[in-house]
Amino acid sequence: MKKVVLLLTAVSIVFTSMAGGPDFQQVMGKTLAGYADCKTIEDYHNLANKFERIANVEKDEWLPLYYHAHCYILMSFMEESDAVKKDEYLDVAETSIDKIMTMKPDESEVFALKAFMLTARLVVDPMTRGQEYSFLSGNAVGTALSLNSENPRAKYISISNEIGAAQFFGNDISRFCDQAKELLEKWDDYKPASTIHPNWGKYLVSGIVDTCN
Amino acid sequence: MSRSIKRIVIIIVGLICLTELMAQSTLITGVVTDLKNNPMPGANIYIEGTYDGASSDDDGKFSFTTTETGTHILIVDYIGFETYKKKLELTGEEVYIEPGLKESFNQLKAVNITAGAFEASETKKAVILKPLDIVTTAGALGDVSGAMQTLPGTSTVGESGRLFVRGGHSNETQTYIDGTLVHEPYTSSAPNTAVRGRFNPFMFSGTVFSTGGYSAEYGQALSSVLLLKTNGLQQEDQFDISLMTIGTGVAGTKLWKRGAVTASFDYMNLTPYMLLAPQNFDWIKHPESYNGAISLRQKTGKNGLLKTYLTYDKSIFSLNQEDPDSPTGITNIKIDNQYIYFNTSWLGELNNNWSLKTGISTTGNIDNNAFTFGDYGGKLQGVNLKIALSNHLSEKIKIRFGAEYFFKKYSERYDSEQHSIHNYQEFESNMIVGFAEADIYASNKFVTRVGGRYEYSDFLKKHNFAPRISTAYKMNNKSQVSVAYGIFFQDPANEHLIYDNKLNFERADHFILNYQVLKKDRIFRAEIYYKDYHKLVKYQLSDHLEPTGHNNSGSGYAYGLDIFWRDKKTIRNGDYWITYSYIDTKRNFRDYPWEAIPGFASKHNFSLVYKHWLHKLRSQIGLTMMYSSPRYYNDPNKEKFNSELMTPYRTINLNWSFLFRQNVIIYASVTNVPGFKQEYGYNYGSFPNSEGVYERVPVVPGANRFYFIGCFITLTRKGEANQLDKLE
Repeated sequence: MKKVVLLLTAVSIVFTSMAGGPDFQQVMGKTLAGYADCKTIEDYHNLANKFERIANVEKDEWLPLYYHAHCYILMSFMEESDAVKKDEYLDVAETSIDKIMTMKPDESEVFALKAFMLTARLVVDPMTRGQEYSFLSGNAVGTALSLNSENPRAKYISISNEIGAAQFFGNDISRFCDQAKELLEKWDDYKPASTIHPNWGKYLVSGIVDTCN
Repeated sequence: MSRSIKRIVIIIVGLICLTELMAQSTLITGVVTDLKNNPMPGANIYIEGTYDGASSDDDGKFSFTTTETGTHILIVDYIGFETYKKKLELTGEEVYIEPGLKESFNQLKAVNITAGAFEASETKKAVILKPLDIVTTAGALGDVSGAMQTLPGTSTVGESGRLFVRGGHSNETQTYIDGTLVHEPYTSSAPNTAVRGRFNPFMFSGTVFSTGGYSAEYGQALSSVLLLKTNGLQQEDQFDISLMTIGTGVAGTKLWKRGAVTASFDYMNLTPYMLLAPQNFDWIKHPESYNGAISLRQKTGKNGLLKTYLTYDKSIFSLNQEDPDSPTGITNIKIDNQYIYFNTSWLGELNNNWSLKTGISTTGNIDNNAFTFGDYGGKLQGVNLKIALSNHLSEKIKIRFGAEYFFKKYSERYDSEQHSIHNYQEFESNMIVGFAEADIYASNKFVTRVGGRYEYSDFLKKHNFAPRISTAYKMNNKSQVSVAYGIFFQDPANEHLIYDNKLNFERADHFILNYQVLKKDRIFRAEIYYKDYHKLVKYQLSDHLEPTGHNNSGSGYAYGLDIFWRDKKTIRNGDYWITYSYIDTKRNFRDYPWEAIPGFASKHNFSLVYKHWLHKLRSQIGLTMMYSSPRYYNDPNKEKFNSELMTPYRTINLNWSFLFRQNVIIYASVTNVPGFKQEYGYNYGSFPNSEGVYERVPVVPGANRFYFIGCFITLTRKGEANQLDKLE
């Protein structure tokens, strides 16, 4: 009897692993590692495609869509001169963000990403969009921080927006530099919910700190 | 280890081997192209329901393996293209496919009809102008029509200031705000003094300036329509203060849930300015005006927006003009104008994809002017009601239809005690209109718009039907051609209708061919057109210079070429546009003895608008250069009518906007920097003097240069907003 139970257990383990395919966590982890190899817009595009494929299977997961949008925002920042393309990339990002908003209406990270996207919109044409989009991005950051006051990405976008505006208007940025330094020092204190939850931004903050010095 | 456990281990190992055998992998390779066989890099290729897939490389090639077996669906996704699906039998044998993707239809990205239309809007789509471009154009001085005069197809008529489009008189251009008509969109003026648009350009977030061939939704304009769309719902409470060399203004905005109200008050008085800066006119009372406006925004339902706007202004001034008809050689003119304009519109979606646009506008204009020899009064009341419905019959066909009602009451009185004249005349007209139009897309690349407009006027007791058709074809990503044809009708001008109600509509037929190339931050546009005028109003002047014998026997034509080039790329932080217009036009209308080149047309028009952003100085500097070849004027001493040439019109304007603080902008501008002599022909006496000669006085602008300095302060809770889009 014992043997039969053992045998059945073993068989069921084997079949379960076969039927379930590679684990979601595992695939996400592997795909996230792909960020390290991304250098060009095409690289990010390919990575975004991977996240899209995962999102198409895992209809209830918001993280694949999150990274999909994130890749497209980075693509917009990387595009050098074609304003129409920049906006097209952001249109894709916005579609994914809107989808997540219906799945996770109270997620601080999503609002932070939305703010990031809106800042990217502003960057496309600061002269005409400056006023409207700094307001919209600021609003999204505000919501992100109200949902989680510790969210380091929301803090980063807030500081980066403030510096952008201050530079545009020729104002002093040292106050924001201090904030960036503090954020960088305490960056690792913030623990993401899991290994596949958003954890990006430290490098960007250290970039700000470098330019401040 | 017991034997039984050993056995289990063997079974498990065996099972694992078996699953490995079962999970044979299939290699899938191929090339993704569009329907023209161009490789498509970055397409997402995958097996539906699995993580298995790849992206195509620069040559469109891809390859990946899958452990799935049996029947599966392969999907190819690419943004802007229809999803490609193919059933595959996965057996372990290599699969090779060549998916050809079809561009998906997207009305937002599809080709636009560009014939005749200059659009300025905030939409993300590539447009020729942004609303900010209008207000930062040097020399426009915050006047929408002033900025439009730097676009091709317009003539600068310095003594008028109004928009003259493609050989058309200024009254052939109509202004619409949020879809409904605005009567008297310009300030009142004395003879031969330039006017300005009444409306503040900062009110508008979208402008379409059509120089011909426009939609059947708009009528009562032989040449051109200027369509202005007011701003949407504001984002935050704010308070604006403007301090200018010519006056001051305040405006406040208060938000509530899904709605907002803005109130503004402006007071202008040119006395201090005109005492300091040299003036050509002999002012008795410098221009002074008051303006108050209130606007409301309220979102309704799911996506409806109600907009209401009410404005009142009063302006007065008085000056002495040289006048060959006056025994003293001088006529005194006093202008007293009151204007009230109200506009309400509602835009929203109904059930089943129907959207509804309704609007009502009313205009009241009262002139109480006094001349040395008598008093002149004019009064206009106008109402326009409009309802328009639109729907997508299918993805590629959009229809729009609606009805309009126009009411107009116009009266004039002239009282001269000295000459014992007491004249009063008035007329009242009602017009009903129906229009329908369809946009039919064959693909992203080809669109045709067909429409028609029917009008009936109870005053003229006449009706008309105006067909319109236009198409656009995109040859590739960058270039497109667009053509337009249409018939356009307009009531004769009020000053003619007041004498005669037996007149007919005036008519113009437009033929337009447009070519446009749009590359990253560079636009080239060329347009040729032919315009045929029929039934223009003609009359004779009696011995007392009274117009008599009005009829519709006039005619005319205009043809020409308009070129527009804009480049935001070549010069870092710089942006410029160059326009050139050539026009050949003649007409026989009003009291012309025969067909002649009208006095408002200049053959060659050139303009250069340059803007440069100086980051370190937080400043934008602007430069506008304009040249118009000499126009004709009539010298009654000569036998030939309208045969004398004026000096050409030349100007160079400069402006400077400086972001002093995040919420404080300082703005300065000067027109005609080099001081070019500007003279707009001569004003002749109505009767010859004792020697049989008609005496004359030159027509000149009010000042050779206009200087302006202003400071604009915006207060918000956060202190971040500014009047950046309030420059000028």
